[in-house]
Amino acid sequence: MQLEVRGLSKSYGFAWALRDIDLELHGGDSVALLGPNGAGKTTLLKALAGLLRPTSGEIRFNGTSLRQGSARLRSTIGLLSPNDHLYEKLTAEENLRLFFALYSRKEKNGDIRGALDAAGLADWSGEYVAALSSGMKCRLSIAKWLLLEPKLLLVDEPYGVLDGGGVDLLEDQLKNVCRSGGIVVMATHDVTRAAAFCSRAVILRRGKLVFDEAKRRPWESFYSAVDEYRPRGEAWPS
Amino acid sequence: MTEIEQKRRPGKILGVLALLSVAAGLYFALIKAPPDAYQGEVQRIMYIHIPSILTAYLSFFIVFVGSCLYLWKRERRDDILAYAAAEIGVLFTALTIVEGSIWGKPTWGVWWTWDARLTLTALLLMIFVGYLMLRSLIEDPERAAVSGAVLGIIGFLDIPLIHMSVYWWRTLHQPPSILRPDKAPWDNVHPSMLIALAINFIAFLLLYFYLLSLRIRVGETEERIRTKTLEGAA
Amino acid sequence: MRWTNIDREEKHGLPEPDRLLLWKDLLLELRRRESLLAMFFFGALLLFIFHFALDVRPEKAADMAPGLLWLAVVFCGTLGLMQLFQAERENRCLEALLLSPIDRAVIFVSKVFFNLILMVMLEIVIFPLFWVLFNLTAWDRLPMIFLYGLLGTVGFCVVGTLFSALTLGARGREILLPLLLLPMLIPVVLATIRGIEIVLQAGDFSEALPWLHLLIGFDVIFSTAGILVFEWIVEP
Repeated sequence: MQLEVRGLSKSYGFAWALRDIDLELHGGDSVALLGPNGAGKTTLLKALAGLLRPTSGEIRFNGTSLRQGSARLRSTIGLLSPNDHLYEKLTAEENLRLFFALYSRKEKNGDIRGALDAAGLADWSGEYVAALSSGMKCRLSIAKWLLLEPKLLLVDEPYGVLDGGGVDLLEDQLKNVCRSGGIVVMATHDVTRAAAFCSRAVILRRGKLVFDEAKRRPWESFYSAVDEYRPRGEAWPS
Repeated sequence: MTEIEQKRRPGKILGVLALLSVAAGLYFALIKAPPDAYQGEVQRIMYIHIPSILTAYLSFFIVFVGSCLYLWKRERRDDILAYAAAEIGVLFTALTIVEGSIWGKPTWGVWWTWDARLTLTALLLMIFVGYLMLRSLIEDPERAAVSGAVLGIIGFLDIPLIHMSVYWWRTLHQPPSILRPDKAPWDNVHPSMLIALAINFIAFLLLYFYLLSLRIRVGETEERIRTKTLEGAA
Repeated sequence: MRWTNIDREEKHGLPEPDRLLLWKDLLLELRRRESLLAMFFFGALLLFIFHFALDVRPEKAADMAPGLLWLAVVFCGTLGLMQLFQAERENRCLEALLLSPIDRAVIFVSKVFFNLILMVMLEIVIFPLFWVLFNLTAWDRLPMIFLYGLLGTVGFCVVGTLFSALTLGARGREILLPLLLLPMLIPVVLATIRGIEIVLQAGDFSEALPWLHLLIGFDVIFSTAGILVFEWIVEP
C-alpha cells in the first residue's frame, strides 16, 4: 500500500486551504496530522478521502490516481469523523447494516453483532443514534470501520469525545489497520498521545506542510518543531 | 502600444462595427423600408424585435456550450463565458419583452397578452434569472460554477419542450380572433423590408458579441485579480 | 447504469444499492414523519383556500378542476422537495454516501423513487378529496386521471430531485427552489392539466395523445439527463 501526494493545493475563492502538499506514505505508517485550528487538517483528510476536488496536484494510491479511481478504490478508504456519517433516526445496528450492505460486504457469523460487542455497544444496538452520546457515536463509527476494513483510515480529531475505554478501542483498531499493511492518518490536537501512538508526525500550518518527520530520528526535533511552529497566543498543544 | 491596449484592439474594432451597423440598421428600418400594408408604422419594431429574440436564444445556447465545456475541462474561461452569456442574455430577453409589449399596445390595445411568443420569452427570462440567482446564492465559488453549469445544461434541454408545450397550449385552444403574432404580419414582402431585417440582424449580432466581449473581459479581470491574490498569499 | 459492486443482485428491476437507500428513506420517513403528513395537511388546506379564494361554483368546478388539482399537487410536492435530502444533511450523511463505493446516480434514482412514492400516496388522498369537496360526479374517470397524473408526477419528481440537490448549498433555498423549478416544469404542468381536462370531458386518452407523448418524452429525457449529471451536482 502506497499513498503519494504531489503538489496538492486547494483554494476557496480568495484563500488557500491547502498549499503545495507533498507527502509519501507507506503501508504500516501511522501518521499524526497536527496543527492549529484552521490549518487545513480536515481539508487534507477530505482530499485524501476523495471528498474534495483539489485545485491542483495529485493523489495516488499504489500508482492509481484518486480522481480516476474506481468504486473499488473508494471502498478501501475510510473517514472516521466523530458525530458524523450516522443516520440519527436509524438504530446503531441499522446504521451498521446499511453501510455494510452499501459496501457490498456479505455478512457471515454475525459480523455486525460482533462489531457492536467489540465496541461496547451491545446493549445499545437497538437504540436510535439520536439517543447516543457523542462518545458512543464515536464508538459506533469505530465499529463501522472495524467492519468495513479500509486500507487507508483517516481519523478526524477523535480524542475529544472518547473515554479511556474508547481510546483503547480506537488505538487497537488503528493498530490492526497498520498491521495488515494499511495506513492511518489521524488529525489531532493531542500531541502527547500522538507522539506515543504514531510512527510519524506531520505539522500543517495555514495550509502548508511545515514539518514531516519519521520516527527514525529522535523525537526532540519534533518537540522543538512544535514549539517553533506554535502560533503565539495559541493554546495548543495541550 | 502596450500589451493591454493591443489586446483591446479587436474588441474596439468590434464595437465600432457594431455601432456602424446599428446606425445602418436604424436607417433602413425607419427610413428606407416602406410601412407595412396592415399595421403601418408600428410594424417597424419587428426589425429589432426579431433579432432581439434570436440573439436571446443564441445567448442561451452559448450558456449551454460554456457549461458543457466547463464541466468537461474545468477551465475558468468557459465558466466566465457561460456567466457572461447569461447576463447579456437577460438584457436581450428583457429587451425583447419590452419591444413585444410596445408593439402590442397599438396593435391589440393591451400591454400584455398570453400569446405563445411573449409567454415563451418571459419563461426564458425567468430561467436566465434563475441561473444568475443560483450562482450568486452559493457561497463556494467553485460549487457555484459547477451548479450553474448543470443548471445551464438542464435549462437548455428544457427549452424545446417548453416551446412545444406553450405553442400547443395556445393553438389547440383557439382563442377568439386576435391578430396572432406567430403568423408573420406581412403577406407581400417588400425586398427592402427583407434587407432592413437582414441588416438589423447582423447589427444585433455584432452588438451582442461586442457586449459579450466586454463582459468576458470583466470576468477575466476578476479571475486575474483572484489568481494574483492567491499567488501573493503567504 | 454503471457501478462496480462486488456482488449485484437484481430483484424487481431495482438493483441492490438503490433498494437499500430507498428502504432507508422510507424507514426514516416512517419514523420522522416530516414530509408526508405535512404534505397531506397542506394539500387539504390548499383545496379549502382555492374554494374560498376562487369561489368555485358547481357549474365551474369541472372546468377548473384539472388546473386546481394539479396546482395543489405541485405546491405540496415542492414542500416535500425541501425535505428530500434532510436526512443526508444531518451529520453529513451525504458525505458518507459519497465516500462509499456506490455510484452517485444511485443516490439520484433512489431519491426519485422515494419522492415518487410520497407523491403517489399524497395523490391517492388528494384526488378523491378534491372530487368530494368540489362535488364532481365523474368518479369513473378518476382512475384514468390518476394514471395520467402519474406520468406528470414522475416528471415532477425527476426534475424536482435534481433541483433539490442543486440548491442544497444555497442560501435562501426556500425561495430559490420553487423559483428555479416552476419555469422548468411548465411542460409537465401544461401537459398534465390539458390531458386531465381532455380525459374528464371525453373519457379517453385519444385526443390527449400529443400531450401524453410530450410527458413521456419529458420523463425520459430528464431521467437520462439526471442520471448523467447527478454526480456533478453532489460531487465535491
